[in-house]
Amino acid sequence: MSVVGPSAAGWRPLGRGDGVNVVVRALVVGVPPLAVAATWAAAGRGRPVVVVAAAALGALCARRSDRHVGLVVVALVGVNWVATVDDHTTPWSVVVACLLGVFHAAAAAFGVAPPAATWTRAMGRRWLRRTAVLMAASGGTWLVVATLDGRAGRGRALVLVAALALLTAGALWAHGRPADEQGI
Amino acid sequence: MSERWQPTAAHSRALLGGMGFATVAVLARRPDLLVLATPLAGAALWGALLRPRVVPRVRQSLGHAVVREGDATTWRIEVDDPEGRVEDVAVVLDAPPYIDCWPAGGQTVVSLPDDGDGPLAIEVRPVRWGRRTVGPALVAATSAWGAYRWGRHASDDERTLVALPRPARFDAVAPPVLRPGIVGVNPAPRQSSGTEFATIRPFQPGDRLRRIHWRQSVRTGTLHVTATWADHDRHVVLLVDALDDVGVSEGIGGRSSSLDTAVRAAGAIAEHHIGIGDRVALVAMAAGGIRRVPAATGSRHLRRLLEVMATLEPETRRSDTGEVPPGLAPGALVVMLSPLATRPALQRAVTLADHGLTVLVVDCLPPDVATSDPGDADVALLWRIRLLQREREVRGVEEAGIAVVPWRGPGSLDVVLRDLHRHARVRTGTRS
Repeated sequence: MSVVGPSAAGWRPLGRGDGVNVVVRALVVGVPPLAVAATWAAAGRGRPVVVVAAAALGALCARRSDRHVGLVVVALVGVNWVATVDDHTTPWSVVVACLLGVFHAAAAAFGVAPPAATWTRAMGRRWLRRTAVLMAASGGTWLVVATLDGRAGRGRALVLVAALALLTAGALWAHGRPADEQGI
Repeated sequence: MSERWQPTAAHSRALLGGMGFATVAVLARRPDLLVLATPLAGAALWGALLRPRVVPRVRQSLGHAVVREGDATTWRIEVDDPEGRVEDVAVVLDAPPYIDCWPAGGQTVVSLPDDGDGPLAIEVRPVRWGRRTVGPALVAATSAWGAYRWGRHASDDERTLVALPRPARFDAVAPPVLRPGIVGVNPAPRQSSGTEFATIRPFQPGDRLRRIHWRQSVRTGTLHVTATWADHDRHVVLLVDALDDVGVSEGIGGRSSSLDTAVRAAGAIAEHHIGIGDRVALVAMAAGGIRRVPAATGSRHLRRLLEVMATLEPETRRSDTGEVPPGLAPGALVVMLSPLATRPALQRAVTLADHGLTVLVVDCLPPDVATSDPGDADVALLWRIRLLQREREVRGVEEAGIAVVPWRGPGSLDVVLRDLHRHARVRTGTRS
């Protein structure tokens, strides 16, 4: 018996898909350049080549959603942000965060269904609801950041280090456990 | 490869992206990067919290193993998720050529908690007769945020689907071809033990006592008996030539290859003759040698004939030598279905007639064979030359007293069967 997962083979491009699939694909391609454009708007400066690169990477990601091209897109948006935006509390960060959330959700959803399959209403609703939650969380984070940024407290460095430690621990936990703990 | 839940590229993206932004935010004192990290880290955390630990159980089944071509059956997938953490289940069914699937491409996806596994059904419709392997279906289950995926694509989930040929429409109004049989449902050309009244005649030694017609005997003073026509059957042998398959096969509703026509026509003729009580045998020359089904009648026998026809595949390794399958019953009506693409096929018909069999050749060559490949002028030219040669060869066969008729559906064989009946009547010198 041979068993292979779709992550190894990828979905076969058998059809154009239904309306939801087309929208999801359009989001995967279109959102990265939008995020770069939003960064441009936040910084007041930018390079068109980065927009083009983001669009190209988005298209590549839509073609092979099972590869790590999406991570490159995220990295490109982040590096571009760090390199060009100086205002740490600009509300544009919420816009870019929401676009990153939409991109991630679309790319993840794109890998869930075969290209020619028709999404059910329940699936669409669930993915929309969860994406909205993440976007709201981004807005909440911005509020916290904007509030704390005005206060030059003495323990700020300590808070950041603690946050880093917490994130590291969370990442290690989320990354996975040994196979014998997977109930297989 | 083992079956287990695997993190996806989406989960890696969320985890590494969120972690990376957060790390840079801390190290470079850029709290705005925490805002950018939030959706990614949130998705990673969400996906990790709802990580499945138990693999789901999947069962695949095919509604019917045998269907007529053009009819549909259902490939059903049942998913049992005891843990309740599977969210989306996607299915892609491996379908061979001549199998249409609905939804398109055999692809479907459902939300297992909301939709259940009921919609995980794919309509499978064979558009051409034959035995085909359908499946296995690739079943992929994903958890929240598409963070973890489990897939199964196992060869032991394959199923064999037999599509019986859908017989073409056929009916013959011509009288039966006469043969010297003495059993069956058709009146024979001679008087003997039977059921249909023929006449009242004087008693002869050997007549059964229960046949005595007492009223006539008393009136005339000599013994008279009731004479009946003997019942006889017809023995039809379908000789299917699957040594060549010429033309393009597009399935039901499309163009038919010569083998498509031969099999569907044979099915139609078998259905017609079995329907009127005749005994029908099948001899098929195909890949793997000669396939035989002995003569019998009844609907079960028809099913058996169709099932054997559904397994025929054209011979590609050896050329036609014109050999005649041995063991054809003398006196049988042999209906030979062939594209007559080669000279040996025509010679076979002549040899059969030389053996004293009544032979009827059904020409199954597609009428558009010379123009089926418009992109290749050389092939078209070769076909035109070959068709001219073939026309001359067929004429020679017809001059030898063998009827060759193209298959044209209902009534295709009427004229020929009527001629054969008339010749047989002249030969036997009996009633019509």
